[in-house]
Amino acid sequence: MKEVTLELLKQCANNLLFDMDQEQYQTLLEEFATLFKQMELIGKIEDIDSVTPLTFPYPCQSYLREDIEGETLTLEETLKNAKEVEDNQIKLPKVVL
Amino acid sequence: MSYLDKTIVELHELLLKKEVTPLLLAKEAIEKAKKDPNNAFETIVEKEALEFASSLKECEEDNLLWGIPFVCKDNISTKDILTTASSEILKDYVPVFDAEVIRKLKDKKCVLIGKTTLDELAMGGTGTTGHKGVTYNPYDPSKTCMIGGSSCGSCASVAASIVPFSLGSDTGDSIRKPASYGGLVGYKPTWGKISRYGLFPFAPSLDHVGFFTRSIEDGAILLNALQGYDPKDGSSLKDHDEDNLKNLKNGVNGIKICVFKEIIDSINDKVILDAFNKSIDNLRSKGANVNIISFPKELLNAIYPTYMVISCAEATSNNANLDGIKFGPRGEGNTYQEVMMNSRTKGFSELIKRRFVIGSYSLFKENQEELFLRAQKARHLIVNKVNEVFEKYDIIYSPCVSKARNPIKGGIDDKLSSTYLIAENHLAIGNFGGYPSLSLPIGMDDGFPFDANLTGRVFEDSLVFQVGYALEETLGYKNLSIEKVVK
Repeated sequence: MKEVTLELLKQCANNLLFDMDQEQYQTLLEEFATLFKQMELIGKIEDIDSVTPLTFPYPCQSYLREDIEGETLTLEETLKNAKEVEDNQIKLPKVVL
Repeated sequence: MSYLDKTIVELHELLLKKEVTPLLLAKEAIEKAKKDPNNAFETIVEKEALEFASSLKECEEDNLLWGIPFVCKDNISTKDILTTASSEILKDYVPVFDAEVIRKLKDKKCVLIGKTTLDELAMGGTGTTGHKGVTYNPYDPSKTCMIGGSSCGSCASVAASIVPFSLGSDTGDSIRKPASYGGLVGYKPTWGKISRYGLFPFAPSLDHVGFFTRSIEDGAILLNALQGYDPKDGSSLKDHDEDNLKNLKNGVNGIKICVFKEIIDSINDKVILDAFNKSIDNLRSKGANVNIISFPKELLNAIYPTYMVISCAEATSNNANLDGIKFGPRGEGNTYQEVMMNSRTKGFSELIKRRFVIGSYSLFKENQEELFLRAQKARHLIVNKVNEVFEKYDIIYSPCVSKARNPIKGGIDDKLSSTYLIAENHLAIGNFGGYPSLSLPIGMDDGFPFDANLTGRVFEDSLVFQVGYALEETLGYKNLSIEKVVK
């Protein structure tokens, strides 16, 4: 596993597009130390690799809906919560300057 | 005269006899909500509630929910009503559609009074991390003991008899554990039985929509109204609807119930243990076969880290859309990345950020095997073992918490102790396997209530309510609220 350092945590947070202050990164570092100790408890389970990862609570099929048009949002509804709108589009800073 | 300390069934009788009207109930609920001292509300929808309640004239005899006021956790979408998830990043978000559970309750002519506080984005179990601050336990005038979370406002509202029921969501124990601190019935269904369309996703493989009531019968009434296949929810169950009132009063004679010895051993509080043992005696006296059995402790110890890793990993991905662009307060920036970075840095609290980083780290290619996939394997082993138990037993029965009074500050320090890992976190078993799971009050500790939990096989929600009803009848802790207990 990748070693957890303050630098790695900051890089990880920035990849997720947010930042924290130094004290918060330190708290997170300590939280990881506890989590790793707790994860060691899972490592102690003898037959942990005897099963596949479980992704849903019980065997179930994903029900795909029929391919027919359902409810759709109006333009007004779609843009209702956006802060900057121009020409019926959400406005962002220019990508190409 | 106060009406809202009554159950849904009692209110329905009064509405039928025209002794009270939906408008009177809505007015009383709104007045109480406005004076709420526990910080349980994000929004009170006074105008909409009074208008809708005024339109309800003739009580529908066969609709037990007609005219009943309720509140809803603020991570469930309500059309044209602010829905914040108690997060700054959604502080001005107004959904353009109703969640399926809201649509169903509107069809039943229930009256929405307000939206309730939660731990931010439903990630947390203390009721302290929402953007409006701590939500308090109505049973605690000193405001030092928690109501729990994440469905803190929904729990506090029903415990304070502002409304007779509320909607919540449950990813680890977020309805069933606060229900204990509030002395309520708290229920999450079999995964897929109640539609999650319109619920803000936290960890979809674990998320459930459920509710709080003050009686088991009220809960069965609500489940009848809320269950059902919804094509808008890809995990919705087909062909599993039941009349949950039909067998409610059939008793527990011959029902096989087990208690995990390791959970009992992880609790030291004598009041909790005495009340729990008494409740076992009561179940036995009514003909239930209750056995104390052993469950592998290494699997119980694995519940909390399994939950943390899976839920944080799913949450990291699910909340990537909270970027300040399509909705939410927009941060400054010269590029869209800067806009997102500033929006998310300001919009999320520290706890949420920490959880996202844990989730992201668990999903790193080089960490997946030892963290995310290992947690999913642990989940599989736990579910396999619980399913083995369900081959012999109908119900797993356990205390919900290690003590009735859990301080907001200075909780359990040792995060590797059995009290923390097992007594305080075992209810997540219900989410791992998608089992129907119901908490109900079994005792009081010096003015503070506490619950026990009944968990059954998937699809057998009706049986869980049946056992809950019998237990409620023998113990008498029905329709608890601060008005009844504290007075």
